[in-house]
Amino acid sequence: MSAELRPELGDFCSIVCMKAVIVGIEEALGEKATAISLIAAGRVRGKQVVEGLGLAGQSLPLEDLTSKLAFALGKDGTRLLVLDKIEQDGEVYRVYTKETICSSGEALGSERQCTFALGAVQGALEAVSGKRFRGKQIESVLRGGTHDTFEYTPIA
Amino acid sequence: MANLSSLQGLLQNFVVSSPDIQGAAVVTPDGLPLAAVLPNSMDEERTAAMSAAMLSLGERIGRELARGTVERVFVQGDMGYGILTSCGDEAMLLTLASKDAKQGMLFLEIKQMSEKVMATMGSNASLFA
Repeated sequence: MSAELRPELGDFCSIVCMKAVIVGIEEALGEKATAISLIAAGRVRGKQVVEGLGLAGQSLPLEDLTSKLAFALGKDGTRLLVLDKIEQDGEVYRVYTKETICSSGEALGSERQCTFALGAVQGALEAVSGKRFRGKQIESVLRGGTHDTFEYTPIA
Repeated sequence: MANLSSLQGLLQNFVVSSPDIQGAAVVTPDGLPLAAVLPNSMDEERTAAMSAAMLSLGERIGRELARGTVERVFVQGDMGYGILTSCGDEAMLLTLASKDAKQGMLFLEIKQMSEKVMATMGSNASLFA
């Protein structure tokens, strides 16, 4: 990994600091306003990722899209999350992720929802498909799931 | 598509029917645009996210500062008004009005429009496929 933005510290910062940003904004603005803002920010970021990969508007097999996004967002990319699988059921997408920012360092049973990660995957799917989706988290590693799973339904 | 078309039609009529109303948008509580008639200079996606966050923040202020249930978030600038109102659990309405608008009339029109949006949302099982 090359350091492009910060010569001494490199391009990655601690997950503890990132989490503190989220929790701090929640304290000030409330969970809902924070979630809206982070989902919106995530959507923009996801779109940027897809455009950076040259995949916007491309008709790709799901396996190819999965592997490219997993690479860009995972250990060899920006390390936002681990993306294990994308399923398509008609027009609905389910995306299986883990090691998301929001779930890291949380106690088991916590009600915390993923927001930035949910939005980032949403923005990526929207940029690739050209459709708009509404996303929700349907499973959490904090509540007995194997993954933080997001479901995206097209807006009719 | 018919559902969103109905909302878009409602908004078109709302904006066209009053010279003081300069734009309007219906957005989801999580900040996604459902329908919008906005000036070209405004980004629909950003406006939707901003509106949802603002209404949510207004509701939090209402709760934390013991102001009760929030009816609307009202932004008054020297060029006009921006008003956010809830339309049930599924949507909220942003209305942009000129500084010349009569507030009482404006609130009445917004109330009537909110009811129409709620009826449209309610009459359609879901806007999401």
